[in-house]
Amino acid sequence: MATASAAVRRDWLVGYTMVAPVVLGSLAFVVLPLGMVVWYSLHEWNVLANTFTFVGAENYQRMASDPGLGDALLATVWFSIGLVVVNIALALLLAVLLNQKLPGTTTFRTFFFSPVVVSLVAWTIVWSFLLQADGGINGFLSVLGAEGPNWLRHPTTAMIAVVIVQVFKNVGLNMILFLAALQGVPEELQEAARLDGAGAWRRFRSITLPLISPTILLVSIITIVGSLEVFAQIDVLTGGGPGNSTTVLVYYLYQQAFRFNEFGYASALAVLLFLIVLVLTLLQWQSRKRWVFHEV
Amino acid sequence: MKSDVMPAPAPGRPGPSAPAVPPGDTRDAAPGPARRPPLGVRARRGLTRWLLVLLLAVLSLPFVFPTWWMATSSLKPMSEILRRVPTIWPQDPSLEAYGRVFTLQPFAQQYWNSLYIAVLVTLGTMLVAAMAGYAFARIRFPGANALFVLVLVGLLVPSEVTIVPLFRIVNSLGLINTHWPLIVIPVLGAPAVLAVFIMRQFFLGLPTELEEAGRIDGLGRWGVFWRIALPLSRSALGAVAIFTFLKSWNLYLEPIVYLSSKENFTLPQALTQYVDAYGGPMWNVQLAATTLTVLPVLAVFLLAQKQFVQGLAHSGLKG
Amino acid sequence: MSVHHIRNRRTAGTAAVLGTALALSACAGGTDAPVGEPETPSEPVDLRMTVWTADETQLDLFQSIADAYVAENPELVSSVKFETIPFEDYTTALTTQLAGGNAPDLAWIFESNAPEFVSSGALVDLRPVLEGTEGYAFDDLVPSALTLWEDGDGLYAYPFSNSPFAMFVNTDQIEAAGQPNPVDLVADGGWTFDAARDIAAATAEKSGKQGLVVRDFDYQSWENLATVWSGWKAAPWSADGTQCTFTDPAMVDAMTWFHDAVFTDAAMPAPGTTADFFAGDAAMTITQISRASALDDSFQWDIVPLPEGPAGKQNVVGQAGVGVFAAGEHPDVAADFLAYFTNAENAEQLAAYFPPPRQSLLNGESLAAANPKLTSEQLEAVVVQGVEDAVTKPAHKNFAKLSETVRAELDALWVEDADVEAVLTDTCAAVTPLLED
Repeated sequence: MATASAAVRRDWLVGYTMVAPVVLGSLAFVVLPLGMVVWYSLHEWNVLANTFTFVGAENYQRMASDPGLGDALLATVWFSIGLVVVNIALALLLAVLLNQKLPGTTTFRTFFFSPVVVSLVAWTIVWSFLLQADGGINGFLSVLGAEGPNWLRHPTTAMIAVVIVQVFKNVGLNMILFLAALQGVPEELQEAARLDGAGAWRRFRSITLPLISPTILLVSIITIVGSLEVFAQIDVLTGGGPGNSTTVLVYYLYQQAFRFNEFGYASALAVLLFLIVLVLTLLQWQSRKRWVFHEV
Repeated sequence: MKSDVMPAPAPGRPGPSAPAVPPGDTRDAAPGPARRPPLGVRARRGLTRWLLVLLLAVLSLPFVFPTWWMATSSLKPMSEILRRVPTIWPQDPSLEAYGRVFTLQPFAQQYWNSLYIAVLVTLGTMLVAAMAGYAFARIRFPGANALFVLVLVGLLVPSEVTIVPLFRIVNSLGLINTHWPLIVIPVLGAPAVLAVFIMRQFFLGLPTELEEAGRIDGLGRWGVFWRIALPLSRSALGAVAIFTFLKSWNLYLEPIVYLSSKENFTLPQALTQYVDAYGGPMWNVQLAATTLTVLPVLAVFLLAQKQFVQGLAHSGLKG
Repeated sequence: MSVHHIRNRRTAGTAAVLGTALALSACAGGTDAPVGEPETPSEPVDLRMTVWTADETQLDLFQSIADAYVAENPELVSSVKFETIPFEDYTTALTTQLAGGNAPDLAWIFESNAPEFVSSGALVDLRPVLEGTEGYAFDDLVPSALTLWEDGDGLYAYPFSNSPFAMFVNTDQIEAAGQPNPVDLVADGGWTFDAARDIAAATAEKSGKQGLVVRDFDYQSWENLATVWSGWKAAPWSADGTQCTFTDPAMVDAMTWFHDAVFTDAAMPAPGTTADFFAGDAAMTITQISRASALDDSFQWDIVPLPEGPAGKQNVVGQAGVGVFAAGEHPDVAADFLAYFTNAENAEQLAAYFPPPRQSLLNGESLAAANPKLTSEQLEAVVVQGVEDAVTKPAHKNFAKLSETVRAELDALWVEDADVEAVLTDTCAAVTPLLED
């Protein structure tokens, strides 16, 4: 380092200046609050009674014997897997369809995107009407001769409903990103493969998919992070039920903090949540070399 | 879900059209006559195309209906809104709710609050993220990787996790019931991280030749950034802008926690305030206000989407 | 509290930002803050009261009372501000303010949170102030209305709103089904839960809509069933809150009745089916009388008291309280303002929206002014007699957790072939540790 020339040092200085706002911002608004959360997690903090007592690792030990947490983790796994898989599959399908230069594409694109700008609460309330036992969805199914389940009252269908409502709300954004990526795939490659006799599916798998894999990585990261912020949806649709079947970790954390006033324990859960996301993201990032076509 | 339909793309694709023609515009972009396929094949393709359009129409139902319901319900009386099986069109449409949107609250002021906050946050985020993304992608300064990882931490923190400590910080700075926390924290804190990440990916994918040419022409690092890199990143900045604007426009938990007087409220918070004397929501007024917040954004998207998608397609986001 | 004290709090906050004092140095409670005749502060203070109403006419009324107080006590207060927090997020935002060291001076409190707030020490004892305020007429307050908000001798919040639960009936639908009018049954003494169920089932069958709706229950907020099981004199836990009583015969009977009314008689909407009485979707509904404002003229309706159960008639009221936070900056001034805000004269004004816990104001005439949709006879029958000796919905100092746990357990009850006794046994097993907390 000491050997760096003055020009290089000047370049460093520009670099530091450019990243300074976001680095300082992260320190003040991410790292400091996280540190405070870790500190809170070592305490029993009852906001109402105004007590703040150091209890060491007690909140962490409590996790081991908390049956609610196990359920919440399980629900989180199902929710996140369901959300990511359905969201990405649907986003890709829509993008591919919209990339066919069909009539009315602009209109359809607007349709699929429109829920993104709709207020989350209004969106969820409409769906809670539609998902009633005798609501619009089952009415539609009965026209087709099928009998729909009581969506929000069975553990499995309630989870499916929460995932689906969330997917319809946000898939438009991912669809746009995929659509942009698809339009960046050179026509010549497709054409060459077609001349070589490759079928549609083959071309999609061997050319399109690898070329848009960086976008898939980005989209899946965005989606997983988004899956951690499902609060209003679950609150309006199921309230975490039936039983605890849709009480995902964030909802559980929110309950502990704001409904039960267990800020210490909630902070410990927040630390756990943070670590889980950290590990997941690192794994995803590490694995990108295996499946992302060219390192970005 | 319907992944079995996925291999369907190719049949509808007309010959080698000009690259990057936006999909909405291609109805008349007929393939050159030299490559025109035989008539039978064309008919089959035509049929497939219409089947695909039908599929799109069916798929759009669950996307369009709730929005449609929201907009039309703002014209309905309360009792009709709460029908178990929703009505498609109001039996007796009335604009009364729209008048009440403005008389019950300083709605225009609240609209302005949301708008100016979202615009400031969007511009601020674009600038901060472009600079940081560029530096992390292009400049090799000591500790760059460590700092990037530090920033990425923000991507992993749901807002519910840090709301209490952030409130303490904001409170101790005396900034409760001001718009500062809604502007500064998103621009510099966790919400900006995704933007930084997108910009870095973009600059990594951008060929360096142009910048090198710029340097040879005597531009410094700042000059290269401002005059060459930034203009080239318009499309990625567009993506960042849309993400950021929507996020700020729809922000809910934070305004509720930070703001306390009606003149300072933002739209999502204001929407919850249309309630009757006993806390029951006035659905028609609430939905009228919601419609007013949604339609302009939708209109802007409708007008700008062509440029937006096309821009993104040329950007580094494709890889 | 003195200005000096405030400055100390500020300093502590700044230190926290600097990262040196992540500890909550400002946490020392003010529970034993002296309350009585407020000490005149060195300069007039600003008071802040959080409420969940966003109704302009209500807020204007509050403000006019507050402005009169400011005018009378310029040396004490310079302003009183009412801060609306949305209903759904009220407790979240209030808790965040408390956790953030920014406690309001006064706050509305949900009844289900009452024991938690009352027993926490977060609120100051109002009894000395209210009793000591000249012309307050503390004895005019209905004792049963105060129970929920008391701890020992202390009164930690004032129940400004006491809205009885009653049964609204859609007489158009009931008549069309050829069923007896509940108003007549009340007169004959035949107004029982069984009668209500039978009318509801028959009316629902005829109208193709729903029968009896326990409003806001929705198979989630089970505490609203108190309006039903109180007729069996059942309760979820013992009065002292230590014993689970879900398995008591009275509760088992009440829940069995409810379950069968839903799944056997189809007298009530099944889970996953919502029906809004006020939209004409149901024959009758149990809710607070204040909801009368939601009625329009689209159908003929009437209002009757809650039916009698096997154990007789039991009135139920829904309450809301207002308390003074010890952690606020001026608890003594805030308590003095509360005494003014709820004195006999102002309580009469507030009665326009919130039935007050005052004997002298609980008559059909005073209340009719407040509830234009109801006649003074209806109000006399339902409100005046409804507040006397009324019980409140279940409450407990651990209510938030209990509410969530019971909700999850009772989900097993809301299926057709549920074993009521077994589910309630499971419920007690899950609830007991929380009662002992």
